[in-house]
Formats: sequence, C-alpha cells, structure tokens
Amino acid sequence: MQYIGLASQTRKNNLNSILLLIAFPALLLAMCYAIIFFSSEQDTDQVNKYFLQIIPFVLVGVGIWFLIAWAGHSTFIKLATGAKSLERKENKRVYNLLENICISQGMKMPRLNIIRDDSLNAFASGISDNTYSISLSSGMINKLDDDELEGVLAHELSHIRNRDVRLLIISIIFVGIFSFVAEMAFRSLRFSGRKSSKDSKGSGVIVLIIIAITAVAYLISILLRFGISRNREYLADASASEMTKKPYALASALRKISADPMIEAVESRDVAQLFIDNPKPSVHKSASWDNLFATHPPIEKRIALLEQFA
Amino acid sequence: MALLIVIGILVLISIWFTSLYNKLVRLRNRRQNAFADIDVQLRQRHDLVPQLVDTVKGYASHEKELLLRVTEARTAAMAATTIDDKIKTEQQLTAALQGLKVQMEAYPDLKANQNFLQLQEELSDIENKLAAARRFFNGATTEYNNAVESFPGNLIARNFGFQRELFFDLGEDTRRRMDEPPKINFGNP
Repeated sequence: MQYIGLASQTRKNNLNSILLLIAFPALLLAMCYAIIFFSSEQDTDQVNKYFLQIIPFVLVGVGIWFLIAWAGHSTFIKLATGAKSLERKENKRVYNLLENICISQGMKMPRLNIIRDDSLNAFASGISDNTYSISLSSGMINKLDDDELEGVLAHELSHIRNRDVRLLIISIIFVGIFSFVAEMAFRSLRFSGRKSSKDSKGSGVIVLIIIAITAVAYLISILLRFGISRNREYLADASASEMTKKPYALASALRKISADPMIEAVESRDVAQLFIDNPKPSVHKSASWDNLFATHPPIEKRIALLEQFA
Repeated sequence: MALLIVIGILVLISIWFTSLYNKLVRLRNRRQNAFADIDVQLRQRHDLVPQLVDTVKGYASHEKELLLRVTEARTAAMAATTIDDKIKTEQQLTAALQGLKVQMEAYPDLKANQNFLQLQEELSDIENKLAAARRFFNGATTEYNNAVESFPGNLIARNFGFQRELFFDLGEDTRRRMDEPPKINFGNP
C-alpha cells in the first residue's frame, strides 16, 4: 500500500514543473517590458513595437540557457557541491543497500556520488532516468549504520520517484537566469558609476530603474521557487519508511544529521534546497524571514512525525 | 433519437469494457516483468551453487545426502520454465541451501576457508536481492489478484482466462525450518 497523498504529490509535481516552465519565461518577458517601458519615452505604441521585436531574442536566449543547463546540470551541481562519482568497488556496502531498495521498488538505480566531507548530508539530483543521482557525504557513509543509511537512501529515492528532484532542478535553472541578469545589472551600475558625469543624468536613472525591476523579478522568482511545497520532505520521509518499513532508523539518522549538517564545500544557497537537511543553516534569526526562505521544515518536527509513524 | 441513445450506451459500455480488459493485461504484464528481476538473481544463484557444493565436498564428504539434495534441487529449478514451476522448485532450492547452511556450522575448518567465506557472502548478497525482488513481485501480484477477483474485473477475468496467480514466498519447508529453534549441541560433536 502506498502512503496516501504520494500519487497526488507526483501529479502535482509534474503539473508544477510545467507551470514553472511557463511562468519563468513569462516573468522574464514582463521584466523586459517594464524595463523598455520605463527607459523609453513611455509611448505605448513604440514600446509594444519594440517589445514584439525582442520577444524572439529573449525566448531563444532562455531556450539556449535551458538546453545548456539541461545537458550540463549534473556536472554543474557536482562542481557546486564538490561531489565525486563513487565506484562500486570503492564502497560495496552503499551500492548493495541502494540496489536492494531499488529492486524492491522496481526502479532503475540512480548513480551514486560522494562528497568528501565529514559532516552528514545527502541530496538527490537529476532530470531524467539517465541523470538521476544520489550524493552522500563521506560522514554519512561512515557514521550511520546500515538501517539508518538505508532510510536516508530511501528518502532520496522517493524524492526522485515523486519527481521532486526534477521540479527543483528546473526551478534552480530559471532562478539562475534571474540571478545572472541581476548580477549583470549591478555590474553595469558599477561600470556606469565609474564613468560618472560624462553621461547625461538620464542614463543613471535608467540603470537604477533596471536594477529595481530586476531585483523585483529576482525576488518573485525566488518566492516562486520556495512556494514549491515544503511538504515534500514530510512526504519523502513517509514514503521512505514505507519502502524500508523502518521509520525508527530514519528518525535516528535524522537526529544524527541534525547535529552536523554543515557542508563546507557548499557555497551557493541555490543548491541548498536539494539536501536532506539544509547544509547552510540560516544566518537570519528572525522567525518570519526564516519561514519564508526556509529550504527545509524543522528537523525536530520530522523526527517526531516519524516516531509517530512507527 | 432512441436509437442514438442506445448506440451511445453501447459505445460507452464497449469503451469501459476495453479499458477494464486492458487494465488486466497491463497488470499481468507488470507481474511478469517483475519476475524478470527475480530471474536475474535466481540465475546467479544457480551459477554459485556448484562452486559452493565443490568447496563443501572437500571438508564434509559424509554430508553426501545433503549435497545431493542441493544439486538435485538446482537441476530441477534450472529445468523449470513457467513462473509457477520456477516458484515451486526455487522454494525447494532455498530450503536445501538453508539446510546446508545450518549443517555447515558443525565444520570449523570449512568456516575458516577463505573461498567458502567468500561464496557465503556472495550467496547472502544474492538472497538479499532476491528478497527485495520478491517484495516487488508480490506487490505486483497482489495488485493483479485484486483486479482479477474484485467486481467488476472478475466478470471479464473469468471469461478471458485471467486467473489468480501465485505469490513468491519462502515456501513451507523453509518457513518450518525457520520456526524451529536452532539445535545446540553441548556435548562432543
């Protein structure tokens, strides 16, 4: 019997993936329109004409970006997290555990990566059957016993099966576009600031407007991303216990992980959402801010729920 | 008008009938595919058994009967072609191997043999994978059986040769052995 809500979660994820695929280019186009509108004479006809001209360029640009990210995301993520491929002969134990869960679920086995870091964390990534992978820190492999490790692997496997991973990767790719544009805008501000008085005052104002609009779009894109249900962690915990029949093992694994989830190699917050527990605990102490931008539900609550489940 | 309604109803019924029939076919195929996973592990176990028997022979030559039983069970299992036959013969092989394992506890020399230890480890790895594959297969079988036996699937199932299928469980022999308390010999062997 499958945990109730899992099938609908998968469907919701597939739908959200498609919505994101539509929403992000739309947001980008809206941003372009706003920039054109405020930086030109604000003559609607002129603006519309110009906007129609640049639409194909923007869409082709997004398409190219997306194709590159689609093809190279596993390499990028490996670089961003410092993960390396793990060979079967290097660690037979992990391979056996993962293989057995996959067989019992009738799933294709994802690749295995290792992050050489003594703390405990793990994540799943990938978009298709060929690119799905699970990465474990070496601390995870060394400090957890077989049952606990099995629980963690099952948790990551259910992220893959529920299509959480694909949705997240797509959103990360798009947010990447906005952070890229935002960075470009800030660079151009610094650049134009250096040139200072030689240009007319108008151009400085325009750059400021561009920055403001880009910042708004960036913020919206981030909120869209975090709007993606955080329930997925609870659901993945539940379906992992469904797979292994050992919720206690996963609870005790989470307890060990919560003591030390910091992965020093992970510098970008963009990939934080992938992990089983946040690898970069928030520096902001204000609760509401934390809730809005939290990548993970509180681990204590997850442990409590798992123990109830048992 | 009445004719159109009748035709409409007939079309609806045939669509419904087709989808039900296709569902049964899909579930039956899924069960068969799930067995392919099991088959991979079974074949590896077949390959391993002769090596195991050869190794044991050198240390425990008077366990001839036991070894013969294992070899015969393997031959029978390899000869089986249908899923049902395979399930039955493999249950016997599992039971025979289990018996061998228990008996080997009495041979400390054998248990110190590197080759034997490695074979044992490989065998237990295969058994673990077999257990996992069996879980998936039995899940698929449950789903199929439910569809075959519950209304309205049973109406179609009866007329088109879909029937309740076997689970792949441990088999009575093995289960009985596992329920027995282990024999402990305190005296001289």
